[in-house]
Amino acid sequence: MKTLRTLLVDDNRPFLILARHLLEDCAEIDVVGEAHDGHEAVRMAESLRPDLIIMDLAMPGMGGLQATRLIKAQDRPPVIVIASHYDDPAHREFVAQVGAEGFVNKQYYETEVIAFVREMVKRAG
Amino acid sequence: MAESRVLVIDADAERAEGLRTVLEFVDYRPVIVENCAALDRSQHKPRDWGAVVVGKAEPKSLGAFIDWLRKDRLHPPLLVLQPYYEAVLEASALDRSACLQLDTPVRYTQLSDLLRRASLVGLQQATEVSRLVGPTGNSPAIRRVRRMIEQVAAFDTTVLITGESGTGKEVVARAIHERSGRSGHPFVAVNCGAIPHELLESELFGHEKGAFTGAITARKGRFEMADGGTLFLDEIGDMPLSMQVKILRVLQERTYERVGANRSSHCDVRIIAATHRNLEDAIVKGSFREDLYYRLNVFPIETPPLRERLEDLPLLIEDLIHALECSGHGRVRLSADAVHALRAYHWPGNVRELSNLIERLAVLHPGEAVGLDNLPQRYRAKPPQQAVAASAVTELRREASTGAIAEGGPPPPRDDEPSVRVPASIGGSELPPEGVNLKDHIENIELNLIKQALQQAGGIVAHAAKLLNTRRTTLVEKLRKYGLTSRDDGE
Repeated sequence: MKTLRTLLVDDNRPFLILARHLLEDCAEIDVVGEAHDGHEAVRMAESLRPDLIIMDLAMPGMGGLQATRLIKAQDRPPVIVIASHYDDPAHREFVAQVGAEGFVNKQYYETEVIAFVREMVKRAG
Repeated sequence: MAESRVLVIDADAERAEGLRTVLEFVDYRPVIVENCAALDRSQHKPRDWGAVVVGKAEPKSLGAFIDWLRKDRLHPPLLVLQPYYEAVLEASALDRSACLQLDTPVRYTQLSDLLRRASLVGLQQATEVSRLVGPTGNSPAIRRVRRMIEQVAAFDTTVLITGESGTGKEVVARAIHERSGRSGHPFVAVNCGAIPHELLESELFGHEKGAFTGAITARKGRFEMADGGTLFLDEIGDMPLSMQVKILRVLQERTYERVGANRSSHCDVRIIAATHRNLEDAIVKGSFREDLYYRLNVFPIETPPLRERLEDLPLLIEDLIHALECSGHGRVRLSADAVHALRAYHWPGNVRELSNLIERLAVLHPGEAVGLDNLPQRYRAKPPQQAVAASAVTELRREASTGAIAEGGPPPPRDDEPSVRVPASIGGSELPPEGVNLKDHIENIELNLIKQALQQAGGIVAHAAKLLNTRRTTLVEKLRKYGLTSRDDGE
């Protein structure tokens, strides 16, 4: 089974600890790094070359939208899933427009991330 | 798990504590200060907070705080408690979209809704970082688009903008709005392809309280938000048929209903629609209504792909760098060899791709000169020693379409000219250590071979197709894809 080298991005450090814990049992996810804002995410996406980034939408400084645009401009960009506190059509619209492949509601983080990842692995064959 | 930080400035300690409780309840991280002086601004940036709630505050120090805040064009919005709202709005001269009124006593539903709107304001600002006022450029293709904008702007005519993804269809729509009599009213954009189909109707037309599960309050739709102004329906080709019929009705009768409403609302909006799809093909396939197509296609404008107007590239780069600088990014400069490499690229993602690249460079190399080596691999696939040759794509297009080189243009590509953008290290099969973008690489090889075949065939597509052992129609399709025109395509 394919594992996805994954970068987690969130300005809220306790959330990152929780996210690692929540995703621990998902064998498809191998967390290879953590970034705490959009800038750091752009640099780490370039240096780590992950397969997948799960990134918070709202972060001080550079948020998830701008970071997604910049990461998608690199060579062989990773798949990006944006985790948002708000789940409504307008938020989904912004996320889809920058080229992120996934949108998860932060309230259902674990369930929705794992569902997305399993579907991604299945499609990759 | 707590979300974005919210700053609360209020001299009324009891009320501030109440706000803390409510904010924590809706999962925010509140930071409470009783006056602006209590906040060490040297330790913060305006964007540290998702929103700033303002209560009772000493006007002078609040003024200084707001001045500091607005130095960042992407500052968070203010949520001002009702008794102080008008005074703060007037003193700060902030736009109403950046200064929202919060009723007292504070209610959970309104606070939650305003924070949601504050989040959207932040996202909107983030998308405007590198937005061009445009359309930028002096190429014949873009001059033609500008002329059409001038022709149609003053009238309420429905406009259909077509063109590949990333060619700046929204820029054209905004330009029409800005030059129209509706410019003092809102321009509201909606991407029909980016909103889940089942949510599109309530997003466009709004809904009444209780219209469906989760509709805890009534909400305006985009048509209502755009009242008096312009509604830009982007990616209309992705709209489901069930919604197409409703849009047709709005265009015919100028009325619509909110989801769950019993009465119709009148609508005074100008509609501009856009799509990257071929709607005529979609009609044949049955995925787009013919009657809607004719209603929309009153004044068609086609935005040209970037590869067909590469002469605009330096001006576009300059404007993008300037726009980013105005948004607080450092000034980035591109070396001549980097610009040459970009001119030789075929830009499948068009101006949007260029904009994202320049934004990336400005963020990663603020205040620096960016050389060829700083560009992602796909842009520098052309070996540096060949970079001085001007865009072979443009040259070939000129040569093939006119049979001669335009006056003052660069010399024609010679038969022995090295291949375009095919990395020397690859030679077709060897993978370089940094890897390749497979799709782009295959396209590079294909483009190069097509170019050679056309040269050998004297620009005659049928002969070039034989050399490539492909059907003429297939080659014509590919020529269109790469923005190449041929001698025998009747142009």
